[in-house]
Amino acid sequence: MAPFIVTQDLKHVYHLDGAGQIEALRGINLTVQRGEFVAMVGANGSGKSTLAKHLNVLLLPTSGAVWVDGLLTSDPRNLWPIRQKVGMVFQNPDNQLVATTVEEDVAFGPENLGVPPREIRQRVDEALATVGLLEVRLHPPHRLSGGQKQLVAIAGALAMRSQCLVLDEPTSMLDPLGRRQVLSTLRRLNAEEGLTILLITQSMAEAATTQRAIVLEDGRIALDGPPGEVFTQVERLRALRLDVPPMAEIAHELRRRGMPLPRAILSVEEMVRALC
Amino acid sequence: MLIRVEGLTHVYAPSTPFERTALRDVNLEIEAGESVGIVGPTGSGKSTLVAHLAGLLTPTAGRVLMDGVDISHERPGTRVGLAFQTPEDQIFEQTVFREVAFGPRNLGLTASEIEERVDWALEMVGLDPAVIRDRVPFTLSGGEMRRVALASILAMRPVILILDEPTAGQDPQSRRELLARLRALHAQGDLALIVVSHAMEEIARLVERIVVLNEGQLVANAPTRQVLSDAELLRSVGLDVPEPTALMRALHRRGLPVRTDVISAAEAAAEIARVHLLEEAAR
Repeated sequence: MAPFIVTQDLKHVYHLDGAGQIEALRGINLTVQRGEFVAMVGANGSGKSTLAKHLNVLLLPTSGAVWVDGLLTSDPRNLWPIRQKVGMVFQNPDNQLVATTVEEDVAFGPENLGVPPREIRQRVDEALATVGLLEVRLHPPHRLSGGQKQLVAIAGALAMRSQCLVLDEPTSMLDPLGRRQVLSTLRRLNAEEGLTILLITQSMAEAATTQRAIVLEDGRIALDGPPGEVFTQVERLRALRLDVPPMAEIAHELRRRGMPLPRAILSVEEMVRALC
Repeated sequence: MLIRVEGLTHVYAPSTPFERTALRDVNLEIEAGESVGIVGPTGSGKSTLVAHLAGLLTPTAGRVLMDGVDISHERPGTRVGLAFQTPEDQIFEQTVFREVAFGPRNLGLTASEIEERVDWALEMVGLDPAVIRDRVPFTLSGGEMRRVALASILAMRPVILILDEPTAGQDPQSRRELLARLRALHAQGDLALIVVSHAMEEIARLVERIVVLNEGQLVANAPTRQVLSDAELLRSVGLDVPEPTALMRALHRRGLPVRTDVISAAEAAAEIARVHLLEEAAR
């Protein structure tokens, strides 16, 4: 595997007008391999969104460095190549759609790259087919459900031929159905298209379904490993002000009562296997 | 009866190509001091129903009575407090005190009555008035801002507090604190709490009764435990079954004699341990 995102001692300081400063990132050393599906969790103010914004050059490091696919983000010549490689999806689906129909919205990025019209047509159709929205391609975006709107934003990144998606709490305003639509699409894009995915979320249950979980605390990486290792550290998670996934909590409680259970239990299926 | 909803139907944009029936013949009663959850997928009519309870919409058919009076004749006004998904977006004053005092001041209360209400409301949401009253709202954390917004609503002394996704976008710790505050607030007295949410495990800890809406119709109205452990009902309307409930059902299917009306991780662990002990004793 090749590293796709590398940060080296990344620090970021926000200067407030006359009100001092906030150290949002205090030395992040992170390597994400091409094709990884990574979840990032942490309390409000832990630095998750600040880190995400460094990955497509919405922010530049106060000190330290960030490379995306080998390109240094602080080199101005790399700005547009990096933004093409890394697609961002934000929390509020209504704040990121710009056009009057779904397909125009998805075409917006490639049009600005100067892609020839015939190829735009092809890219838009492919992207909408991939996220399952071909049927609504002529609908106005505001008539879609929240989950569908987030899929339009993802299709926009696919039409840009992005190799990596950075999603900042994309499901927190969605209902359960919308959440399932977005997550299953992400899993498929990762497995079938090899997209590198960094998913920021407040839901430990969501994070538990990825390959690697990173916990940020106060601008630093506090935990980093497979979800089965990270989310079973019940006391540590509570100290970090995070939730414990329900199955990990049940396993923890049963172990405390003397029942021997394997360590990494995060899903209902795993718990059933351990108990029956 | 505090609220009685009778045959409520609401049609948006009638006689246009965008005509949409958001509520169909909904009947519902809410007593003073009750806590009720309203759940359902996007587009099921939750927000429309809540807007009717607050007197913000006029029914296409049917009516909403508050203390026996049709609210389309007499608006409920400050008796209903409504907190939208991100109530902190509505903060506009320069200090926390001025923000929370804004409503009471418009009620024409005296300065000392206003002081008293502001202190009371801030304490109710777990903020220390002495520490926070002179702070600039925009320098507070997201969780604190949400609580200030809530205090502004409470300062109007509503008899019904309606919360639309009260914990959306908050981190787990802020969410737990807010839920604990809301429970304490409700336990205090006659305030009826109506909570709209997608987070089933959260709503389980907050309300006594759950109303399920689907495509504008009321499809269930029953005690919280009964609704949350009804996996078929929840799945049929596209809602999540709480994981502890799903676990107990799966174990039951495999022949473990566990109860299936369990709705929290703590209950599930206690029930599994109980059955485990019984089986050990039998062996």
